[in-house]
Amino acid sequence: MSQLQARFFTDNKKYVIDDVPFSIPAVSEITDLSNVINKLLEGKNGDHKHVEFDFLVQGQFLRSSLATHLETENISTEEVVEIEYVEKYTAPQPEECIMHDDWISSVEADSEWILTGSYDKTARIWSLEGKAVATVAGHTDVVKGVAWVKRDGLSSLLLTASLDQTVLLWEWSSERNKLRARHCCRGHAGSVDTISVDPTRSKFCSGSWDKMLKIWSAEMSEESNRPRKKQKTEQLGPTRTPLMTLSGHTEAVSSVLWMDTEELCSASWDHTIRLWDAETGSQKNMLTGSKVFNCISYSPLCHRLATGSTDRHVRLWDPRSKDGSLVLLSLTSHTGWVTAVRWSPSHEQQLISGSLDNLVKLWDTRSCKAPLYDLAAHEDKVLCADWTDCGLILSGGADNKLYTYRYSACLSDAGA
Amino acid sequence: RRPNHDSTDECPKRKPKKKQNVSADGENQEEKVTSGSDSGLRVSSQVDEYEQDTSDEEDIRNTVGNIPMEWYKDYPHIGYDLDGKKIFKPIRNKDELDEFLDKMENPDYWRTIHDKMTGTDVCLSDEQVDLVHRLQQGKFGDVNFNEYEPAIDFFSNEVMIHPVTNRPADKRSFIPSLIEKEKVGKLVHAIKMGWIKPRRPKETAPQYYDLWAKEDPNAILGRHKMHIPAPKMRLPGHEESYNPPPEYLLTDEERQVWEQQDPDERKLSFLPQKYLSLRAVPAFSRFIQERFERCLDLYLCPRQRKMRVNVNPEDLIPKLPRPRDLQPFPTLQSLVYHGHSSLIRSISISPSGQWLVSGSDDCTVRFWEVCTTRCLKTMEVGGPVKSVAWNPAPSISLVAVSYGENVILVNPGLGDRLICSATDQLISSYEEPEEVKDQQVQWAVPEGKAQEQGQRLILTHPKAVKQVSWHGRGDYLACVMPDDGSSLQVVIHQVSRRRTQNPFHRNKGAVQCVSFHPSRPYFLVATQRYVRVYNLIKQELTKKLMANCKWISSMAVHPGGDNVICGSYDCRLAWFDLDLSTKPYKVLRHHKKALRGVAYHKHYPLFASGSDDGTVIVCHGMVYNVTACFCFSSLALSHISFYSVREWCVSIFSPQLFGLIDVYIANHIYSNLGCIVTITLPTLSSSQVRKASSSFALTLHCPKL
Repeated sequence: MSQLQARFFTDNKKYVIDDVPFSIPAVSEITDLSNVINKLLEGKNGDHKHVEFDFLVQGQFLRSSLATHLETENISTEEVVEIEYVEKYTAPQPEECIMHDDWISSVEADSEWILTGSYDKTARIWSLEGKAVATVAGHTDVVKGVAWVKRDGLSSLLLTASLDQTVLLWEWSSERNKLRARHCCRGHAGSVDTISVDPTRSKFCSGSWDKMLKIWSAEMSEESNRPRKKQKTEQLGPTRTPLMTLSGHTEAVSSVLWMDTEELCSASWDHTIRLWDAETGSQKNMLTGSKVFNCISYSPLCHRLATGSTDRHVRLWDPRSKDGSLVLLSLTSHTGWVTAVRWSPSHEQQLISGSLDNLVKLWDTRSCKAPLYDLAAHEDKVLCADWTDCGLILSGGADNKLYTYRYSACLSDAGA
Repeated sequence: RRPNHDSTDECPKRKPKKKQNVSADGENQEEKVTSGSDSGLRVSSQVDEYEQDTSDEEDIRNTVGNIPMEWYKDYPHIGYDLDGKKIFKPIRNKDELDEFLDKMENPDYWRTIHDKMTGTDVCLSDEQVDLVHRLQQGKFGDVNFNEYEPAIDFFSNEVMIHPVTNRPADKRSFIPSLIEKEKVGKLVHAIKMGWIKPRRPKETAPQYYDLWAKEDPNAILGRHKMHIPAPKMRLPGHEESYNPPPEYLLTDEERQVWEQQDPDERKLSFLPQKYLSLRAVPAFSRFIQERFERCLDLYLCPRQRKMRVNVNPEDLIPKLPRPRDLQPFPTLQSLVYHGHSSLIRSISISPSGQWLVSGSDDCTVRFWEVCTTRCLKTMEVGGPVKSVAWNPAPSISLVAVSYGENVILVNPGLGDRLICSATDQLISSYEEPEEVKDQQVQWAVPEGKAQEQGQRLILTHPKAVKQVSWHGRGDYLACVMPDDGSSLQVVIHQVSRRRTQNPFHRNKGAVQCVSFHPSRPYFLVATQRYVRVYNLIKQELTKKLMANCKWISSMAVHPGGDNVICGSYDCRLAWFDLDLSTKPYKVLRHHKKALRGVAYHKHYPLFASGSDDGTVIVCHGMVYNVTACFCFSSLALSHISFYSVREWCVSIFSPQLFGLIDVYIANHIYSNLGCIVTITLPTLSSSQVRKASSSFALTLHCPKL
């Protein structure tokens, strides 16, 4: 089998070639195929510049020679092989390395600012360029979770959750760089490990080691002029109590997120993912795994959940499936606990995962055998990761460094 | 011929059918009687039989009736005739002699009979004698009567053309019967109502069954089908020849030996003998006996087919469960806790599972966050830490740390703030009792920096404390001060009342470790060779477990309370079932060097043992089930503990890699009934783990079969 028939096609209008089968050597690899396409494109229009392509055979990325891939995937070589080609995903470009004083436990970034929580009991606000803007100090113990609530104009609301069992709601005015704790949310009986703000930005949910999920209001209450109370809680603002408590997990809640305005999803050490109705507080569905879940992420683009477990796998779930727990895919390449997963906000097939083996991996669900890229910058455990809408990948870990990467799916999109 | 009745007539018969003519002569009379009777019996006689004979004329010569005639013995008469006149007995003058003479001389004597009614002698005629003979033979009295006349079937099976009777048929035979109609009506109603079921048609198909279908081929009868040929007789050899070659003939010595031998032991059952010719051979004297023995052989010899068993020895190894089926159990090193600068002596995990405390020779106690390996707190103490124990009660946040002669109770301030403050309050709420008892242990409250660090109480013991162990409720704390010569080796502290007791007054050997029973009021004390179980309520020894090893190093009680494992310095792990016996239920010898620590998992049927050979073996142990064990190897290790919540196991590996605590999620040894399958994971550094998954070494030890 030295030659085989292949037909190339693409969705990208810019790189369309004639729809005719070609006879190509079976041993050709990606670079060979890429050269073939480039040659064809050059023949079509003269001012074509060389573009690296990636190839998919029946929805799976080609990572070896064509012959071996077809053999392992059990695809017949008798017929014409349909090969899709896409512009090659470029590697994420490292941008900044932001030094912290202590381990970074959590990170969340938006289009302008990066918010990190650290083991030095503070959270910090950074600009995207890596300039320290503000320090959020108020917790008496390690900050385990951070989240932006909303940003209107120059004032922002942000949340920090800590091992000291409280969640603090802060108001930050970026113009004057003034930070004020507005509310102290008390109610958990264990360290608060995770927080998540709902899509309407009016509520947030926190998950704790005490096995509970609590939903709190994120609205700012009017300043009440009660000097006695105010004096007492001058530092941290008035105490706020939860709107609702969701109990059901039998062990620590490790991660929580809002799937939409009515639905909550939580992952726990008790091997379950539970879906909750945020209105009634009842449990809607439960997906049972076999290992401890450390982190969870939901993509509204492909409607899938990604979880990271202590058994080194990233698993993809379909939360809508009714017939029990359904693992769609296992992404296996890490060698340590997976501590962070995050779907791409713009691409429905890409996600990143961070692990205790010091690596952050960029995955494409179409190539589940190996990640697209390994981001091996950390020198110690990766504890958190984030992916912003504007294509910034962030990861922080036990080496006190927060790395940022600029990632654009394709070179040609880079300028856009 | 109507018989004339004559009163004087003498009739020989009592009931003759009275047709005799009057006759003076008895014999003639007899003849006539006979002829008269003949004619009377004749059926076909034309004469009207009733003319001459009436029954009322029956024997009326004597009217006394049927009475015993001896009543008239003493009278001269014998009765009365019809006219009422006496009938006189005839004059009998015959004596015995006359009788005899009469018998001798009278030719008719044999036919003379005595008539009792009249007292006369009557001589029977020939016809009468003949009649008597016939009657005696059971024949009809009438000579001419043919008792075998041909029978005429009046009603025969043949259908006659004419009716037997001429009677016209009844009217009722033409009218339907009302009773029958009623009966039929009832039956029809019953059938309609279903009370009577129509008769089921008989199954016409013949039913056969296989007589041998259920035959068991192994049954006694079934064996007959298996033909086993009878043992063959040996063919005769040269020694049986009438003229055997001389080497077959026995010498005298051999013959003597042959004769002295038991017949069963003889190699030859006969003596070879030499004859000049075949004619000179005598008859075989034992022929019959030999045939008989042959028959006995055929009949009695046990006939069985000898099966040669070809078994692959590997098939006899009991089937081990696959490790996959026994999951979860630790399989991989996951986390390493870096921080200590010297040997770590002891670890303990908080009841919530969020924290881990470790005590080290570098005089520090560190508190770690389990899931991130973050050291949250480091506390310096005044000496190398020997033992740490987290209070198992979830409502108390206290850690006991022993170093040197001191035990400090530390509130780590981790976990729920409420519990921490409640614990502080519990300790500070103690009020000094009125009368202070002199205690062997000094209780002191630390001041200043130590208090800030979380130390709440310092207990100073007279001797170095090796081990601390909490009671499940969290109020009692047992401390071990091993000392072979003293009775003060174990003390039990009550934290809330700051009291110390010495439970034992006598020294029973050097105490190695102690443990409280998780559910019952028992206290387990391990000395070098025994584990003693004391009942704390009854204050008595409940059980003494023979560990069957030389020096116990460590002990763990199953959370269920029924099982105890002991590790010993002579490489053994003894597993006791407290309900079963004081001897070990099982002794496992998987380790090559001394065991240092053993631990039970709280939920899963796992226990782990750590040894000086640098391995931790995790065993999957179920009573009534196989024991499958798994080991992960590393460097020498001193203490082991199971992570209470998950299937994880925490172990410390000391000398070379000191300062590390590994959380393992791994394993491999199998043991069952003496066979051990060992799969050893090569020593891994954390960076090698990913390559190691394919490089297992497999050793298989089978017992000799």
